[in-house]
Amino acid sequence: MNPIEFVRQQAPFHLLPEEAMQKVARGLEIAFYPEGSKVLEQGGARSQHLYLIRKGTVRLEREGQPVLHLEEGEVFGYPSLLSQEAPAFDVVADEDLLVYRWGERVFQQLMVYPEFAAFFTRGLAERLRFSSRLEGALLGLDLSLPVGELVSRPPVFVPRDATVEEAARLMRDQQVSSVLVEGEPLGILTDRDLRNRVLAEGRGPKTPVLQVMSAPAKTQPASTPLFEALNFMVQQGIHHLPLEQDGRIVGVVTDTVFMRKQARSPLHLLRRLERTKDLADLRGYSRELSGVTEGLLAGGLAPSEIGRSVSTLNDQLVRVLIGLFEAHNGPPPCAYAWLVFGSEGRMEQTLLTDQDNALVFEEKTPEAEAYFSQMAGFVVDGLIRAGFPPCPGGYMATRWCRPLAEWVQLFRGWVESPTPQELLEAQIFFDYRKVCGALSLEPLDAVVAHTAQQGIFLAHLARASLQFRPPLGFFRRIRAEDGGVDLKRGGIAPIVALARVYALEAGSLAKATVERLRAAARAGRLSREGAETLEEAFGFLMRLRLREQLAQLKRGEQPSNKVALEGLSPLERRHLKEAFLHIRQMQESLSARYQTDQLG
Amino acid sequence: MFAALRWPKASWRSRGLAWWEATYWALDLETSGLSSSDQILSVGLLPIQGGAIAYGAHYYSLVRPRRPEALSAEGVRAHHILPAELEEAPPLEEVLPEVFRRVAQGVLLLHFAQVDLAFLKRACRELGQPWPAVGVVDTAVLVARLNRHRARLEPHAQPLPSGLRAAREALGLPPHLEHHALWDALATAELFLLLRERLGLRTLGQLF
Repeated sequence: MNPIEFVRQQAPFHLLPEEAMQKVARGLEIAFYPEGSKVLEQGGARSQHLYLIRKGTVRLEREGQPVLHLEEGEVFGYPSLLSQEAPAFDVVADEDLLVYRWGERVFQQLMVYPEFAAFFTRGLAERLRFSSRLEGALLGLDLSLPVGELVSRPPVFVPRDATVEEAARLMRDQQVSSVLVEGEPLGILTDRDLRNRVLAEGRGPKTPVLQVMSAPAKTQPASTPLFEALNFMVQQGIHHLPLEQDGRIVGVVTDTVFMRKQARSPLHLLRRLERTKDLADLRGYSRELSGVTEGLLAGGLAPSEIGRSVSTLNDQLVRVLIGLFEAHNGPPPCAYAWLVFGSEGRMEQTLLTDQDNALVFEEKTPEAEAYFSQMAGFVVDGLIRAGFPPCPGGYMATRWCRPLAEWVQLFRGWVESPTPQELLEAQIFFDYRKVCGALSLEPLDAVVAHTAQQGIFLAHLARASLQFRPPLGFFRRIRAEDGGVDLKRGGIAPIVALARVYALEAGSLAKATVERLRAAARAGRLSREGAETLEEAFGFLMRLRLREQLAQLKRGEQPSNKVALEGLSPLERRHLKEAFLHIRQMQESLSARYQTDQLG
Repeated sequence: MFAALRWPKASWRSRGLAWWEATYWALDLETSGLSSSDQILSVGLLPIQGGAIAYGAHYYSLVRPRRPEALSAEGVRAHHILPAELEEAPPLEEVLPEVFRRVAQGVLLLHFAQVDLAFLKRACRELGQPWPAVGVVDTAVLVARLNRHRARLEPHAQPLPSGLRAAREALGLPPHLEHHALWDALATAELFLLLRERLGLRTLGQLF
C-alpha cells in the first residue's frame, strides 16, 4: 500500500476532502525510531508533529508507569501541539517504530477542516471533563459542589418553649418552610409537620413545638458534596436538611432548592413514590428513572454514585410495594427479608435492568408459605408494571421464596461441595442485599464470611469468573463484532466477577464492586495498584455504557450493552483498550493462581 | 566502473558530519531488463532530510524509451507500465537533469547500487553529460554489514536476505508495492533509516 492510501484509511484523515489530501501528501514525513527510544518526553520539548503510527507500537508512560499502548493507525503528539505545552507523557517506541508525521504548520492547515478538527478537540474536551465536570456546570448545578453553597440565608430558630402557633407565625413572616428548635437535641418543625402532626391530629395552636417536632434533627456537614446530601435526603426520606459547620447550624437546604435547580432530581421521583396508592401509579416510573439517571450523569457524578441513587430509589419502590401488600393482606405471620441480587444487590444499577430478587422468611409454616408467595407475586408484578422486565433466568422471588434454614442449606451446598455449573449460575446470589424486612441475615452472612477458607469453592468461583473475556485480539487490538463491542461481557462482568472472588477470599461481606476491590486490597489479597486500576476501568466502562444507553433511549431504541467503536473518540478508544488489557492481566494472574485450567 | 567515481576533497571532509546533517536521495529505476541494451522506463526518488523522509519532495517520472519496439511483454507484466503511458512521457533528456539537479546536493541512496548506477552512467554517456560526483550509500551493502555484525554476536544467526522486499520483511518493515520506482525508492529509504540505527552509525563517513 502506498503511504497516501494508508493515511487515507486512518481516522481522522478519512474525513479529509481530496484537496486536503494533497496537503497531507506534501507535508508527509516518515521517520524511524528504534525500540526503546523516546519519541516525546514528559515535561520535555513540546511536540513538533502530529504522528501517525505506520508500523510498530508505542506506549505512553507517566512517571515511568505505562499508561497506554498505541498501535498501527493511531495518532499521537497532538495534545502537546494543541495546548502548546510540554507533553504529558513519555512516548516510548515499544518495538521498532515507523511513523508518518506532519509538522505543526501542516497540522494547522488541516485543522481548518471541521470534521478533522473535531476528532482532536473532542478528545480534548473529554479529557477536560474528567477534572472540571463541564457538563454539570452547563446545567447550572454542579453536583460535586459543597451543599453549603446552596444556603442563601441564616437559619430561623424558635425557643424550646414556643407553641406551634408562634412557630407558624415566624415561618410566615420569614417566608420559610421550616424552623429549627433551639437547644439539645436540635429539633426541626416543617410546614408538613404542621399539617400532618398538628391540624390533621386535631391539636390546637397552643401545642408546644416539643411535642410535634422531629428531634434529633438529621444534619450533614456543610462541606458534604451536593450529590451526597441529595442521597442522604432520599435515604432518610426528609425534605429539609440543616447543615452544620464548626459545631453550629449555618442554614437549612430544602429539596425544593434541588428540584428548582435540577428538573429531574431523584427527589421528584421519591416524592412520587411516596404518593403511590396503587399499582396504576407506577406507570412511567422507568421513563422518569432514566431521566433522573441522565440528570445525574450530566451532573458529573461517577457511575458508582449514580448507582447508589438509583438503587435507593428502586429500594424505595420495593418498600412501597410491600407496604401496599401489607396494607391489603395484613401483617406478615413471621419475620422476613426481601433480597435483591446482581447489580441491584451491588447498588450498581443505573437504568432498569432485569429483576433479581428473592424472599427469605423465618419459619416454614403453611401459613407463611401462602402469605409470602402471595407477597412475592404482588411485588414482582408491581416491578414489572414499573418497567423492570422479569429475569430471564428466573431469579425472582416468585420462584425463590424459601425459609431461612433452606437458604443457609443452599449456600452451604454451594460453598462446601460446589459444582462448576451451579456456581456459574449461583455467583450472583453472593451479591445479596436486604431491601426490606426485619429478619436478620446473620446466619447467611456467616456462611459467606467463611468462604475464605474454602479453597475448592474459591477455585471454582475463580473459574466461573473467567467465563467472559475482554475482546482483545493480536497486537492488543480491540476485536469488534458487527462493528461493536459488548461492554458488559467484555469488561463490566469480568471486573464484577473478579471483585467477587477477591472479596470472598478476603472474607469481606462488601457487595459493591468498588468496595470489594478496596476490601481485597486492604486485606492484601490484591495489590493496591491492581485494585485502583480495576476500579478506574470499572468506572470508565460503566460511564461509557450509561452514556450509550441514554443515547439509545433518546433515539427510541432498546438500551444495549454494545458500543460502536467509530462512535468513540480516540482517547476513549485508548482507555477502552487499556481497561481491557488490565482486565486480561488480572484474569491471567487469577487463573494462574488457582490453576483453573486443571480443575475438573 | 567504481574506480571512475571521483570524490571532490570537500566531500571527504564532510564525511565527519553527523549522519542526519546530510541529504540522502533514495532512488530507484524501473528498466526494461537487466542487460546493457535495456532502457530506463521510470525514475523515482525522494530525500531524507534532517533524519526523516520528506515524502512531499519526491520526484517521479515515466521515461519515453528511445526504442519502444524493443520492449518485451514480460517487462510490462513486471512493472505494470503500459507502452501507451510511455508514449506520453518525457524523454530521458528531460528527466535526467531533473534527477541530477536534486541528487547533486546530496548522497545517493540505492539498493544494489551497481545495477542502477550502470544504467545512470550509461544514460549520462549517451546524453553526453558528465557523471556528477556524488557519494553512494548502498543499503544492500549495509545489510551485509549488519549480517557480519550479527554473525559476530550470534554465530548461528540466520543471515538476513539481501533483496529489498525480503530484507524489509525480515527486519519488520511493512510490505510495500514492488516494482514501482517511487515505492521502491521509499522502501529503500525506510530500510536505510532502520539499518543505520541497527548498525549504530553516527556520521556520514561511517555509512560508506
